[in-house]
Amino acid sequence: MESEKELTSAEESLQLITRMINQTKRDYRETGISALLWGSVITVCALVTFGNFFWRIKALEYIWLLTIGAVVPQIIISIQESKRRRLKSYTDDLMGGIWISFGMAMFLLSYFTSKDPIPNEASIFMVIYGIPTFATGYSRRFRPMIIGGLACWVFAILSSFSPFPYTMLYTAAAAQLAWFIPGLILRRAYLKAKGQHV
Amino acid sequence: MFKDLNPILHSQLRLAVVSILITVREAEFTYLREKTNATAGNLSVQINKLKEAGYIDVVKSFKDNYPQTICKITPIGITAFEEYVRDLQSYLNIKK
Repeated sequence: MESEKELTSAEESLQLITRMINQTKRDYRETGISALLWGSVITVCALVTFGNFFWRIKALEYIWLLTIGAVVPQIIISIQESKRRRLKSYTDDLMGGIWISFGMAMFLLSYFTSKDPIPNEASIFMVIYGIPTFATGYSRRFRPMIIGGLACWVFAILSSFSPFPYTMLYTAAAAQLAWFIPGLILRRAYLKAKGQHV
Repeated sequence: MFKDLNPILHSQLRLAVVSILITVREAEFTYLREKTNATAGNLSVQINKLKEAGYIDVVKSFKDNYPQTICKITPIGITAFEEYVRDLQSYLNIKK
C-alpha cells in the first residue's frame, strides 16, 4: 500500500474497510487446544470413575487428580498463545476472568465436596461447567459452545434423577459437548486458516 | 466530490489501519504491516499522523527482549471512523 494514496471513490473506501475488518476477524482465531485438553481430561476422568464402580481398582479412585495435573499444560498453553497472539479482542480479558473464576470455583468445590459429600454433586459441577461455556459461546457467537453450555444444564437436571455411577456418563457427555467437540471445530478452523496463510 | 470527507482517514493506508483497529482492542505493529503490505517506514509515518490526530494510541514496550509496538483506537478515533462511514454511506445513498 502506498503511503499517501488517496481513495478515489466511496465504493473503494467501503471495500477496503470491509476487506480489512473481515481479514482481521478471520485472523482472530482460537487454537482450540484448551477446549480439547479439558474435554479429554474430564471425559476420561468421568468414564474411568464410571468403570471403576465395577472394577474396584484402588488407584483409579484418584483419577480426578488428573485435573490438577492438567493445570500445568494449561498454563503453558495460555502463556504460549498469549505470546503468539498479535491481536487482542475486546472480550479477551473478560473471558480470561470468567475462565479463571471457573477454575477457582472448580478447585474450591472439589475441596469442599471431598471434605463433606453433598447430594447431586455431579449436577452441581455440570451447572458450573455450563456457565463459562455458555458465556464464551454467547459472547463470541460460537454456536457449538452455546449448545455445549445448554447441554451441561440439561445433563445437570437429568443427572439429578440418576444414581451414581450413571451421573458420570452425563458428566462425560457434558465434557464432550461443552469442550471436546467445540475444541475440535475450533482446531479444524484454526488449522485451515493457518494453512491458507502459509 | 470527496472534499468533505475526513482527510486523515481518506487515505488508503490510514483507513486500512483504522479499519483493523476498529475490529480489535489492540494490534501489534507487525500485524498491521503484514496486513496492509506497507513498508515499516510508511506505516510508521501514517501511524504517527493518526496518533497526532488523537485517533489511535501507540504503546511501545518489550516482548521477549524485542521492541514491541501496540496500537489501539481511541474514542475520538471511533467517532471519526463512524462519521467517515456515515459520510461514505450518504454519498452512496445507503440508508440504514
